[in-house]
Amino acid sequence: METIECTGETIEEAIQKGLDELGVTASDVMVTVLEEPSRGLFGLGAREARVRLQLIGARPAPPAPAITEMPSTLVSDDSLTDDDARIGKEVLAELLERMRIEADITVQRTEPSQQGEAAPWLLNVQGRHVSNLIGRRGETLASLQYITRLMTSRRLQRRANIIVDVDGYKSRRSDRLVQLALRMAEQAVKQGRTISLEPMPPNERRIIHLTLRNRPDVTTRSVGEGSSRKVTIVPK
Amino acid sequence: MEAELVEHIARNLVNKPEEVRVSRREGRNTVVIVLHVAPDDMGRVIGKNGRVANAIRSLLRAMSKDRKRIILEID
Repeated sequence: METIECTGETIEEAIQKGLDELGVTASDVMVTVLEEPSRGLFGLGAREARVRLQLIGARPAPPAPAITEMPSTLVSDDSLTDDDARIGKEVLAELLERMRIEADITVQRTEPSQQGEAAPWLLNVQGRHVSNLIGRRGETLASLQYITRLMTSRRLQRRANIIVDVDGYKSRRSDRLVQLALRMAEQAVKQGRTISLEPMPPNERRIIHLTLRNRPDVTTRSVGEGSSRKVTIVPK
Repeated sequence: MEAELVEHIARNLVNKPEEVRVSRREGRNTVVIVLHVAPDDMGRVIGKNGRVANAIRSLLRAMSKDRKRIILEID
């Protein structure tokens, strides 16, 4: 059973962080409040709220189903009947144009995750000078996806179901993270000690959690705050 | 061109695009972009915990060719 612990200024904030990290909604988890937040006296002894989220029920989403395997089908432009794909591509192209970045955007439909959720569209940016768009640890790419989704959602007037990638960065990274997770889990078990991974952004930590969630011999847990938050693998 | 990007994003996120104004000031080591939006729209370009503004900043940094620091102010 997958469990993670999160902290925040309020209990709500801590829970939200955890949900973001797991990529699930409140109905998928059981929340235990481990520590109420307290303001302390004149800022002394202030404590953050700490909660534990436990996934309930089977969530069949395999590790980053969207991009790990990429068995998706390429879609040519004139057949882009789906609004998310069409408008998402339009929005992304407009952004790149204003950033003076020459690039092509290919649109792929990813594999649906089992639970009847619509599969997201993958918009992959390709071109000669696109590597700037990835940034350190994929930070720029995360921003590009965030802004593209925000603008697309606004035009659609609902949440846009799209993923933005640059030069296949996310799919490559995702493959490597799965390998890393498996290797480190072996090591944790063999050495009988907790192993900490490098700090990673939420979507990458999620891949690690999901890869190892069904293993009987380890649990995973994220520790640290903000950009130094990282996954630890704990042998059972 | 930085200003153009900021203006484009802002206009697409606010309720009153006609009130979006962007100015740009270039110093020796910095470029300052000032974004003005209607008071009601401030939250839309800043975002929760500054998430939207920070994402815009991150895109601006990626555009910077001559390594100048780009500063985005919102008023």
